[in-house]
Amino acid sequence: MRDFTAHNRWIWPALGILLLWLALALLTERLSLASLSGVAATAGFLALPALGQMLVITSGGGNIDLSIPGVIALSAYLSVLVLQSGAGSGAALLAILAAGAVVGAVNAVLVLSLRIPAMIATLASGYILATGALLLNGRITAMRTGGLFQMLATARVFGVPSSFLIAAIAAAILGLVLARLAWGRKLLATGQSEGAARLAGVPVGATIALAFVLCSMLSAFAGGLIAGYAGGAFLEMGTPYLLQSVGAVVLGGTLIAGGSASAAGTLLGALLLIMIVTTMQIAGLPKGVQDILQGVIIILILSLAGSRARA
Amino acid sequence: MTDGAADPAAGRGATTAAPLLALEGVSKTYGTTRAASDVSLTIRAGEIIGLVGANGAGKSTLMRILAGVTRPDTGQMLIDGRPVDWDAFGPRAANAAGTRIAWQELSLCPNLSIAENFYIERPNAGRFRPGWTRPYRELAAEALGAIFPGTEIVPDTRAGALPISGRQMVEIARVLSDPGLRLAILDEPTSSLGAERSAQLRAHIRAIAGRGVAVVFISHKLAEVIDVADRVLVMRNGRITEDRPNRGLTVGHLVEMMGGLSAEAAAEAAEARPAAGAPVLTLDRATIAPGSNVDPELRRGEIVGFAGLEGSGQKAALRRLFTAPRGGPRLRFVSGDRPVEGNFPLWTVLENITVGRTARRPGWAATRPGPDRRAATEAARGLALDPARLDHGILDLSGGNQQKALMARAIVDDFDALLLDDPTRGVDIAAKREFYRLARELAGRGKLILWHSTEDGEFAECDRVLVFSHGRAVRQLERGAITDEALIAASFSGTAGTEILAPRGSGAGMRRLLTALPFLCLALIVAAMTWRNPMVASALGAQLLLGPAVPLVLVALGQMFAVGGSEIDLGIGPAAGLVNVVSATLLVATPWLGVGALLGILALYALMGLLIRARAIPSIVVTLGASFIWLGMGQTLQPRPGGSAPDWLAPVLLPSAFGIPAPVIVILLAGIAAAMINASPAGTVLRGFGASPLALERAGWSTIRYTVLRYLLVGGFASLAGLMLTAMSGASDINAGRALTLLSIAAVVIGGCRLLGGVIAPWGVVAGAVTLSLIGAFLATLGVSTDYNAAVQGALLIAILALQSLSFGGGRHA
Repeated sequence: MRDFTAHNRWIWPALGILLLWLALALLTERLSLASLSGVAATAGFLALPALGQMLVITSGGGNIDLSIPGVIALSAYLSVLVLQSGAGSGAALLAILAAGAVVGAVNAVLVLSLRIPAMIATLASGYILATGALLLNGRITAMRTGGLFQMLATARVFGVPSSFLIAAIAAAILGLVLARLAWGRKLLATGQSEGAARLAGVPVGATIALAFVLCSMLSAFAGGLIAGYAGGAFLEMGTPYLLQSVGAVVLGGTLIAGGSASAAGTLLGALLLIMIVTTMQIAGLPKGVQDILQGVIIILILSLAGSRARA
Repeated sequence: MTDGAADPAAGRGATTAAPLLALEGVSKTYGTTRAASDVSLTIRAGEIIGLVGANGAGKSTLMRILAGVTRPDTGQMLIDGRPVDWDAFGPRAANAAGTRIAWQELSLCPNLSIAENFYIERPNAGRFRPGWTRPYRELAAEALGAIFPGTEIVPDTRAGALPISGRQMVEIARVLSDPGLRLAILDEPTSSLGAERSAQLRAHIRAIAGRGVAVVFISHKLAEVIDVADRVLVMRNGRITEDRPNRGLTVGHLVEMMGGLSAEAAAEAAEARPAAGAPVLTLDRATIAPGSNVDPELRRGEIVGFAGLEGSGQKAALRRLFTAPRGGPRLRFVSGDRPVEGNFPLWTVLENITVGRTARRPGWAATRPGPDRRAATEAARGLALDPARLDHGILDLSGGNQQKALMARAIVDDFDALLLDDPTRGVDIAAKREFYRLARELAGRGKLILWHSTEDGEFAECDRVLVFSHGRAVRQLERGAITDEALIAASFSGTAGTEILAPRGSGAGMRRLLTALPFLCLALIVAAMTWRNPMVASALGAQLLLGPAVPLVLVALGQMFAVGGSEIDLGIGPAAGLVNVVSATLLVATPWLGVGALLGILALYALMGLLIRARAIPSIVVTLGASFIWLGMGQTLQPRPGGSAPDWLAPVLLPSAFGIPAPVIVILLAGIAAAMINASPAGTVLRGFGASPLALERAGWSTIRYTVLRYLLVGGFASLAGLMLTAMSGASDINAGRALTLLSIAAVVIGGCRLLGGVIAPWGVVAGAVTLSLIGAFLATLGVSTDYNAAVQGALLIAILALQSLSFGGGRHA
């Protein structure tokens, strides 16, 4: 039993979701899957950058990507701007994915070649991206979204929001990558011990770099979807995703010290976190109290998980 | 000097009084290893005890028990005949009883000066007053001069700037100069010292033993042990197997008592092997000393040893060979440092082995569980590692079996050369034999084996040994000529008894530039602004421009103390914002409640520090979570900006009567306070914890107490910043502090602090913070939109960090 939970840490967020859902159902006397489905749409937006954050955290060495809010805001503006110029959704998608790849590559260079600690490098690059979004903001004449992004962000398949489906597919792919692809194994090895990985012949730099690139690309894609969902871009739109992306990763049972990840757990962690936030909103808690509780929950989970970090 | 050695016990005599210290039936087990097994031992005043044994024999554990660092599972210790209460026996109690250790893995804090390192070890004379370090400077100079006459080590030098031999001398002097010293334990004290320094040390040991101090001298240099010791202890597998007076003992006797491995192994190794084949690797010119007899070609079928005193370049040479270009020979590397660069602790034995195959596949390739498992099983069998254990966690295995798994990882597929970096460290004798056999077998199959070892006995396995000194191979010994004596003689051949004690010169100029950088930046920006608008230099200009800098200076100084502990506070800006809100609302309406709330914020800071330390979780995530708590609290207290400053706070930053702008005064006061805290004894300890927490704990400092102190300092400066936000704006806004987080980190970095390693500079941070807060105004005078503020600040941060890492070299994971 303990072995099972140790290898399937997604069990805990799944359990949390079930309990919270039941509690909500009892409180509101409405046992419906529909209430879950609304939460799932928002959770999908969070799960994408959270999966990226998971890859970066798993690469170990205290790595973390704090530029996610900047990437989300910038790519949202970029998608709106490309659509405004009359180019199609495909061009917009290419543009934001390319922008994400460039940002990820720059982050990787800062961390790996210039040896700047990831948290500082990405914090600084995040501020530069925020400035970029601010400049793009001035060039937008009309908020135009629509096309592919709106469709992807708002459609439903058998009642399941497509954003959550996309996130679930991404989680499934990444889960498989971590378990069965050489890069995934190399990433897990690097995260456990960079020194050991290097001596075992793992190309440590390239392995970590790809984690940063994938993280920024996933965040950029999420930025496009959120713009499609919200019908436009605004400057602070990425802000909640800084703490929440880390929160979803931690709730999902990925080790903050690196070297062990659960993609399914991150997906469910995002769902649980959004459920908690939604519950607080339904309960009518003021915004300030919501922030306090989010912070407390994440610190609490972390300190509970802390001792499990290294057996 | 020699008359003492002839019959050492006679002069000082073994007295009949109660022994200074006695151990009775002491045992200590780590996992499956018995590090100490029923150890009994008496140490009398004035005795010099030589302690020898192979690596992993249990010497270090025994010493850690004596020093109060490790608590044994069973057994008792008597000091002056009185039993010790283990619960109350920590490093401090051991020091009070007069026991001191000079650690082999040097416990100096590299970021502290030599005088400050003396303080860390012996804080009794430390009072906080100006010039409190002077006694320690004198002490350091006297102690070094007494033991190692002729050294020129300046007590104000940072310990990290000394070469390893200098650090070793400081470490020893720190221990032996203690007036309360009764038992000195020296762990490999001469591993980096030349012959002359080593002789000086032994002479000093005899002198203090004559004054009644007992000395335990642990060394692999057996000739030195025989020269200095009255009595010799031999340890094997956690037991003391020999305890006899040093009369008529020779190096040969000791080798035999320690295990006699080398003679036996040499006999086995002598079996015929095919002659060496084609070259696989070539040593570059820089690795070989000019005029030496070293053959740079490393050939198939050879076992080549890399020998020398620790830190002589043999390890580095081995690692340089491993960074061969793609398409060259297929190289495999096995390190004996299992926790740091061997094990993948979360994985099973099987996963630990098969990663050797996976690592060499392209990233998109799928793993192949079936073939991988078969190959791993075969490799494990070849090493006598039970295949039934493949599915166990790697950490469930004994050290020897872990090392076999790492070896299996290296040979799990075909290769050309195997590089071994001290692979038998802390490994039991059976596993060692397995490695020697494997090495011979692999060499017999035409592989090249390169073997670096810290145990000279192991070189008997080699066809030839390259002896390193001062970073280069100076001698090559061929099979038959490889003896302990020859190795030691060759190890010292390049040194000629002279050490270089000047601080290492590389990058010194760049370092000076980085120290001066914040002041240069500040001067430049002020000059440029004055040139555009002379009003800037006036009292009014300073008043207007520097007002906004005050909160940033304070927040940056708070962040500096976090960075000094190699941590970071991502919530410091919002925390200042919360204090801003509290002081403009509660503190005005109900002053007592306001004061209570401010103290509560400080208490939360202390709690946060405790949590980070106790649960070993990254400060960055905790403080990120905390930033939301601060913001939420502020928003709850005051949903919309507003409020007003308390009457006593409002005028603080207003123009003063003396003609000096108030912000300048506040900034200077803040800088003075931070600089004084940093230079105080407590500040010194905080810096020490930032670089080497282990060394501080061993010296008896409380981690918990200083973590709380550190976070109280961070929270305290953040609170002052919040108050200044209120004084400046006369109102409050919870979002006012948000931007301060990045700026505080940028100011700390520009100020010349290192993000890791406890190097901080209060005045640099002040200059950096003022510079950053002027950037907005500066850009405005240039006609650049303030939209670019954040980007310029972020880019500046990255540029300076890049400059730092280029000038300091590595250290991301230091």
